[in-house]
Amino acid sequence: MTATAERTRERVGDIPRVQRPTVGRRSRGERTRIWSGVIVCVLFLLPLVWMLLTSFKFQRDIFTTPPTVFFEPTITQYVAAFKNAGLGPKMINTIIVALGAGILSLVAGAMAGYALSRLHIKGAATIGVLILVSRGVPPIALAVPMFLVARTLGITDTHITLILAYCSFVIPYVMWLMRGFFLSLPKELEESAMLDGCSRMGAFFRIIVPISAPGLISTFIFSVILAWEELLFALVLTSRKAVTVPVAIAGMAGDTEHGANWGALSAAGMLTVVPVVILALLVQKWLIRGLADGAIKG
Amino acid sequence: MNKPVHTRHGRLIAVAAAAALSLLILTACDGSGAKETSAADGGGVGTAAAHVKITMMANDAFAQQWQDKLVPEFNKEFPYIDVIIDSVPYTELLAKGMLNGTDPDPQYDLITLDDPWTPQLAKVGVLYELKKDATPWTDKSFDWSDFNAAPLASSEWDGKQYGVPLRSNMLMMFYNRSLYQKVGLAEPTPELTWSQYLKQAPSLVQDTDGDGKTDSWAVGLTWMRGALSPPVWQAVLNSNGGALFDKDLKPSFDTKQGVAALQTQVDLLKYAPPGAANYNYTEPLDAFRQGKVASIFTWGSAYKSAAVDPKVTRLTPEEVGIQTMPAGSDGPSTHRGIWSGSVFKNSKHPQAAWTLLQWMSSKKGEVWTTSTLGSFPARKSTLATAPTQAWLAPVFKALQSAYDVADKGQMWRPRTPESNAIQEILADQTSAAVQGQTSAADALKKASQQITDLLKK
Amino acid sequence: MTVEPLRGRIGGTRRASHRRDILSKWAFMLPAALLLAAVLAYPLLHTLRISFSTFDLASFSPTEWVGFANYAAALQNQTFQSSLIVTGVYLVLALPLQIVLGFGIAYLMNAGWRGRGLIRALFLIPMVVAPVVSGGIWKMILDPLWGVVDWFLGLFGVSAIDWFGNATISMVSIVLIDTWRSVPFVALIAAAALLALPKDVFEAAKVDGASWWHTLWSVSLPMLGPIIAATFVVRWLGAVKMFDIILATTNGGPGEATNVVNLFIYRQAFQLLKFSESSAMAVIVLVITTILTFVFLLGSKSLEDRL
Repeated sequence: MTATAERTRERVGDIPRVQRPTVGRRSRGERTRIWSGVIVCVLFLLPLVWMLLTSFKFQRDIFTTPPTVFFEPTITQYVAAFKNAGLGPKMINTIIVALGAGILSLVAGAMAGYALSRLHIKGAATIGVLILVSRGVPPIALAVPMFLVARTLGITDTHITLILAYCSFVIPYVMWLMRGFFLSLPKELEESAMLDGCSRMGAFFRIIVPISAPGLISTFIFSVILAWEELLFALVLTSRKAVTVPVAIAGMAGDTEHGANWGALSAAGMLTVVPVVILALLVQKWLIRGLADGAIKG
Repeated sequence: MNKPVHTRHGRLIAVAAAAALSLLILTACDGSGAKETSAADGGGVGTAAAHVKITMMANDAFAQQWQDKLVPEFNKEFPYIDVIIDSVPYTELLAKGMLNGTDPDPQYDLITLDDPWTPQLAKVGVLYELKKDATPWTDKSFDWSDFNAAPLASSEWDGKQYGVPLRSNMLMMFYNRSLYQKVGLAEPTPELTWSQYLKQAPSLVQDTDGDGKTDSWAVGLTWMRGALSPPVWQAVLNSNGGALFDKDLKPSFDTKQGVAALQTQVDLLKYAPPGAANYNYTEPLDAFRQGKVASIFTWGSAYKSAAVDPKVTRLTPEEVGIQTMPAGSDGPSTHRGIWSGSVFKNSKHPQAAWTLLQWMSSKKGEVWTTSTLGSFPARKSTLATAPTQAWLAPVFKALQSAYDVADKGQMWRPRTPESNAIQEILADQTSAAVQGQTSAADALKKASQQITDLLKK
Repeated sequence: MTVEPLRGRIGGTRRASHRRDILSKWAFMLPAALLLAAVLAYPLLHTLRISFSTFDLASFSPTEWVGFANYAAALQNQTFQSSLIVTGVYLVLALPLQIVLGFGIAYLMNAGWRGRGLIRALFLIPMVVAPVVSGGIWKMILDPLWGVVDWFLGLFGVSAIDWFGNATISMVSIVLIDTWRSVPFVALIAAAALLALPKDVFEAAKVDGASWWHTLWSVSLPMLGPIIAATFVVRWLGAVKMFDIILATTNGGPGEATNVVNLFIYRQAFQLLKFSESSAMAVIVLVITTILTFVFLLGSKSLEDRL
């Protein structure tokens, strides 16, 4: 926990204190719990380890009996991913689009979530649920109309189109998570600020946002991940300049002439993981803590 | 000097003017015409002063290869046509083609179409009719009659020609000579029948290293639910003179012959490696490359990766035989899978677009693509040449006979705008039969019923 | 700031300031409302319009109004019916498993030690890998011939399992793969929720000598009720849409055993270009989803009220 976060937390008196790593000797139960956690995590990562190994294999070494972990390693597949599939520029597109959609959705979604949680707008609850339900819409029902609109406006194959399209499913998500988060904040916060001469908007940006930073950051990460791996909208709305990595991967997997090359696909898969893991490690402190402060309340 | 030369390009040309004054005058004149681009006059093929830009949507499997190698070669002959080729994943190519074809301001001039797709787009009217609309721009030496009938027919619908074959493919039988020798079986020949093949299959399930465990199997093919599974039993049916549909497009596969054909595909699963029920396209190919199956039925284009490339396969060209799939009463069988190239009707530069397709499918272009890119030709003349790459020789031979039998037995997917919908129904029922959820007879009955309902609408 | 401060209410006329206050409240909704109207409401209305019309591919627009004909056709379509059932089966199997597993793992992850942060970050990875790739990798891992899972089981004398061999086990495998991908999300939210629980209740239970089971059943679960319900709703809305894993592994087979409704609709639209029918199907799915979501929300609310 950073010093600032600590201070804000103290100011917000009634937020439950976060469990802290216990210092000194741990009980046997506690040790079992830690180790079980590590084992579960390792189990979940095993398929990814296999993917990592596969990404360094020649195609002839991928399918063998028995499966082998000793093989002549090669970086051919990574070279192929960059050269043949043009993954470099597509990675940049993906980063731009995912961050763009994440930021835009975070701003709009957090404001709306705040309105739903605190401002007692008539009918807001229903609106909230409807927006939530919209997450269940088959994406194919949105993709084609979106394309037609983008085509009319002449903005197909641009980053901004994809960013806007992604807002359709990221905003509801942010709204729902942030609504729960704001519900758990003490009301007195902005009321006192407003009595001090702040407008509602001012109170939100000056008081609520800084306190909610951890929650916003964790929501942001999940939002970026949602946009990061999206395929269908990207397929329909891009063609050359704004093509994202999932589209390139879908193309590689559907090679109708030579069959899918799982080495190159694994390499591409590994490359998509790296930026997100770096981002997650950078902000991992807030990842849980943000949600911990009451992210979801029914 | 003419006016159109006073452009950005014009200045560049002026620098080179001393060297080629006559050429300059020529291009300047042409340029004034090409500036006003419209579909009515075909948009021209570009000039030094005003290049024509065309774009193509192509399948991921070869888009990059074409952009990097084929386009520069094409530009040697047509330097003023700039070509951009975008790759689109296979599963979305048709839908994106439809979106582009109906766009008043289209992004693409050209598309590559898989075998069953032409009717769907042609019906909507988004494709150029090449033998009619494009005649004024067709090179006199472009020889339509030199194409084999089967590949050319894949881009034909309702008696009109909407495309040309660019990358041809046929379902073939690959076999592993070492595994046949090991059990003392004679190598397959094109005369091998399906029933002989089924009889041999049990003995090809073998233990090659003598450790008491089975480690090699007889066959690999697409059993998984998908559009490419039904063509296998369709090939059996076709080889015995049967057809999926009659002339009026009524299902004609729900017969004893049809049931026996599907049953063949179901029975072959017994002689396949464990997990083969979920074999799609790549899996049987990988089993073959590893020397785990004695024979596979797959697209001929996979031959190079199955037999030639040591980074991909453990086999060599000497070890891998290729021929048409086994025979029935009417002779050997195969199934067609052609990638054709078509020009969008709303293209602003149909002349340039058609010029690229002509070049790719011309006698000269086919020889070049075959020898440089290793893709399969559709022309009789190309198949009659001695290929520059030695491994292609047996492939050429097999390909030519596959074209002939495919044409004779109409060994392709149904030619209707409902082709994909029909294939989905067949895929469901084929898979249900393969998994033993239902009998072959019931599966075909249900499929026939559903397809009849579908076509009624 | 354009919005009048709250203090203004004391001075100016009551009604005007009240109106201004409502405006200031709606100002918060504005950006999201505008964006969602453009990228969500409009496309949905368009789809609704298509679902009541015939669709002309040549102009790529809805033409003739046909009332509920597309809906009738969709509901009579056997494959569509079976895909709805398949989706139901998948949801019934996957959701409880993912929620229980998610909360269990969250409990383990919350153990206080230094490596906790790293574990949480690593736990994100399964969510990030493109579904096409993770589906393919799983298919490779589960293959009876090459797969590392059956090889490992073989070391203990277990004979090879064909993980996609028949309808039942294919569904089980799909649920497993989807669980691998989705549990991290549930677990990370659950971990946060668990951290927020007041500790003293548990201490009290411990002092009272309550068994572990009793603590879980009568102390933890009631307190977690709303959070479990909310996680469930978010996950449910994600799971309804799932089809990419299936596309990469079984392609809906064997037969129609794993042909979930979103895969079916995707095919209708993209491979068969049947936009009217697929729009009607999408609307049907949306209606069913909406009704069930309201049922879940009401259920969780009445649960909360009772506790």
